[in-house]
Amino acid sequence: MVTRNCLRVSGPEAARPMLLAHGFGCDQTMWRAVAPEFAVDHRVVTFDHVGSGGSDLGAYDPQRYASLAGYADDVVAICRELDLHDVVFVGHSVSAMIGVLAVLRAPEHFGALVMVGPSPRYVDDEGYTGGFSRADVAALLDSLDSNPDQWAAALAPVVAGPGNPEVTAELTASFCRTDPVVARQFARVTFLSDNRADLPAVRVPTLVLQCTDDSIAPEPVGRYVHQQVPGSVFTQLAATGHCPHLSAPEETVAAIRAFLER
Amino acid sequence: MGEQQERPAGLARLLEEDPADLYENAPCGYLSMVPDGRVVKVNGTFCAWTGHPPERVLGRRLPDLLSAGGRVYYETHLAPLLRLQGAVREVALDVVRDDGSVLPCLLNAVEVRDDDGRPLLVRATVFEATSRRRYERALLTAQRAAADSEARARTLQQVVSELAAAASAEQVADVVVRRARAALQAGGAGLWLAVPRPGPAAEGRPLPVALAAADGLPPELLDALVTAAADGVELVRTGGVRAVPLGPGLRERWPELAAAMAEAGQESVVVVPVSAADDRHLGALVLVLGVTDDSELISLSEPGTRGALAPADADLLATLGRQAGQALERVRLYEETVRQADRSAFLLEAARLMAAGHGMTETVEGLAALAVARLADVCVIDVLTERGLVEPVVAHADPARRHLVEQLRDHHLPRRDGNHPSVQAMAGRRTVWLRGVDAGRLVRMVTGPGHLAVTQALELTDLVCVPLVADNRSLGVITLGNDTRRGPFTEADVETAEQLALQMSQGLEVAARVELESRTSHALQASLLPPAPPHVPGLALAVRYLPGSRGADVGGDFHDVVPLPEGDVALAVGDVVGHDVTAAATMGQLRSVHRALLADRPGPAELVERLHGSWPLLGLPRMATALFARLDPATGALRIASAGHLPPLLVGGGRAELLAVAPGRLLGAPPGPAPEWSGELPVGATLVLYTDGLVESRTADLDTGLARLRAVAVEGAGSDPADPDELCDRLLAALTGPRRADDVALLALTRLA
Repeated sequence: MVTRNCLRVSGPEAARPMLLAHGFGCDQTMWRAVAPEFAVDHRVVTFDHVGSGGSDLGAYDPQRYASLAGYADDVVAICRELDLHDVVFVGHSVSAMIGVLAVLRAPEHFGALVMVGPSPRYVDDEGYTGGFSRADVAALLDSLDSNPDQWAAALAPVVAGPGNPEVTAELTASFCRTDPVVARQFARVTFLSDNRADLPAVRVPTLVLQCTDDSIAPEPVGRYVHQQVPGSVFTQLAATGHCPHLSAPEETVAAIRAFLER
Repeated sequence: MGEQQERPAGLARLLEEDPADLYENAPCGYLSMVPDGRVVKVNGTFCAWTGHPPERVLGRRLPDLLSAGGRVYYETHLAPLLRLQGAVREVALDVVRDDGSVLPCLLNAVEVRDDDGRPLLVRATVFEATSRRRYERALLTAQRAAADSEARARTLQQVVSELAAAASAEQVADVVVRRARAALQAGGAGLWLAVPRPGPAAEGRPLPVALAAADGLPPELLDALVTAAADGVELVRTGGVRAVPLGPGLRERWPELAAAMAEAGQESVVVVPVSAADDRHLGALVLVLGVTDDSELISLSEPGTRGALAPADADLLATLGRQAGQALERVRLYEETVRQADRSAFLLEAARLMAAGHGMTETVEGLAALAVARLADVCVIDVLTERGLVEPVVAHADPARRHLVEQLRDHHLPRRDGNHPSVQAMAGRRTVWLRGVDAGRLVRMVTGPGHLAVTQALELTDLVCVPLVADNRSLGVITLGNDTRRGPFTEADVETAEQLALQMSQGLEVAARVELESRTSHALQASLLPPAPPHVPGLALAVRYLPGSRGADVGGDFHDVVPLPEGDVALAVGDVVGHDVTAAATMGQLRSVHRALLADRPGPAELVERLHGSWPLLGLPRMATALFARLDPATGALRIASAGHLPPLLVGGGRAELLAVAPGRLLGAPPGPAPEWSGELPVGATLVLYTDGLVESRTADLDTGLARLRAVAVEGAGSDPADPDELCDRLLAALTGPRRADDVALLALTRLA
């Protein structure tokens, strides 16, 4: 488990556990400005989803990860392995829905759910605006295929392996490593899932963090999640884009703290 | 500085460029953004390429200028990477032009940071990459086409190898349905096969079809498809692969199917002909396509777009249909060969059973048991004799349902009359084959409510009645029935039943003739034997005659006791070879000749000699063994001669001895001497004459039989007074069983004091 998901644990052992889950497109590096802030008074656990970052690529099973359920199972397994309880699960983007599924599967481990830029369904549907048409998603998948150089460059250190000093130097500078095949499948699973029906079943205190001008999870989608999750708190951030934990870590940390200290 | 001097003045002027012009009209687009992505500066080149006036670019976030894919890529990759590594290079993005068209670009960007590493600005250059992206796209398209083509080839390869391993029509159907569904990612698939029916196919009339396999079809949709297929449909007809979209046409023709498809999220039905190598149509593979497939994920296909079938997919399906058809033909041929071998084996076994020579009832029971093992689920055999129909023999393949056919036999069948197809078959001397026994038919054929209830419980679907006929006389009828386990009879099944009937009719006729002959022989033999032994002073006499137990057999055994006027008694036992009327007749003649010869009072040896001598003149057709004796009851003087017969037994004084009478030659064999044995029969002793039926059996040899004879005889030898009747009964009880192959003649006499 520790190697499969490249677990990193920091903060006081007895403190409340906080599990930070990265979204589609990157890895746990995304939390580098947030994790230390919480590590002063939380047991902070960051990890990479299988297929991303420093995870064990060999553990990638297309069947298991053909839906978000496989990723949710991993989250539950991490909680069990580390014996975590009353966990604050902070999920960015697609991991917000992975968190919802994990909470429904093993509610005994979770004490709070923080969703950063969540979307239960990206594809528009009758009476629902997710922000993407099927053609948009097809184009997105194509764009992943159009940037193989990018992926190859990011993947190179993993393929070459450590030992070669030049490569090691490059390794430290490489982030968001993802295998192109896994990335494409993860994109499919992320953008073609529909978790709307799971939201009303969530029974832990939940925070929806909504960015300004988020072109992936626009405000109406965040509002929808807030309406569907009973008793949830909706916080609008001034931060723009889809990754406030990277672009505005102070504001993000403050908003989560405000929610946890209610 | 000589170089500068050499430079032409015009070029020097050109190189004194205005930095603002260099930025504004550079051969690439320039964009500057604040860290949140908002564009704060843009050059003329970018505006010219995109058709956006600067004011429509400035203040907007870069992702808002991109296509959806680019937007996601920007948010999930580009922005994070810029933040994390400070630069990105050669990122492919599509900028949406003012007119809505797309400009494929490559973007390089750097993040400008302050001394503390905080982002201040992002500088990006944008290069048009239309040709490069077109080339990449062509590559990608080719790559995907190759992958698709490879996937199709793999599917075909798998199907071909799995079909080669399929040993039954069910397995073929299963493979085709599963693979076709997977290859097209169809919502569900089913295979309907034409139900083979005898006779020429009616032109223009749709063949009846039955579902052979289904995969992934929800129950309601499967029901709707089955109903639509029930009237034959255009499922089985010529033409290539057809996709029928869920539209007004389908809604009008099959409203239930259309409703079930809509409910299941399916948008079109694809019908693929399944045909044999000679283009005969065997059935149809049916797939339903929709946006709902196995995966939990949302389908990328827009709702309403799956009605059309890609030509490559249509080709794949057509090939699958042909492969399935050929595999079906092969499997059916194989199955037919196996069935043919089965039928031959069945008829051979039936022939063996009939040749085994068991009694009539046993034989018919064996045949019925064989029929339900090999040919049908239910078998009823009625045999007609001169006394009318005898109790029918019934059998059922399923032990749990045997009681039903027995009920049928005990309560309903003996009064066979009316409309029953078996009666029709017997009366019309022709096979009656009911395909698909429906409720109305049942009501017409039964004799009453009880009969109906039992017949319904048997759940028969097919019935075949084959008459037993010989010389245009009805001998009975074989009725075979199938329930759903075995399914309908085939033409070949019925032919087999007819051959069985033919074999059985011949067997019955032979058996009837033999039985008649047997009854005649027994009557004749009984009339030839003396009814009871005569009274002879000084002797106690007992005789027994038991005919062989095999129905058709009659023996040629005899015994005779002739008191002579002088006081002597002439005794004889004999056995004519054979078990038929001729043997019986020969025995009668032999006995008469014996009596005639006694007129001259020959001794036993002389008697044998005379019989030898006159055998050719008498024209007796069979050989015989015989034993002749002359006893003086007053003195006990005893003389014996044997013509190949078993030695007599002397029982007395607690002993039982076989007398050492030398066996001469058989009567009818070339003549030879018959040495005479002479001795004495003591008072109280008993002489026992017998035929080989008493001591011979199929399971033990003659010596064993003789030893047992002595042992049984001696058991009561001490009893006083000796009782020849008791001795005869004891011998017969101990030495003969209920299943005698041969007749037994037994003669015992005790010399009284």
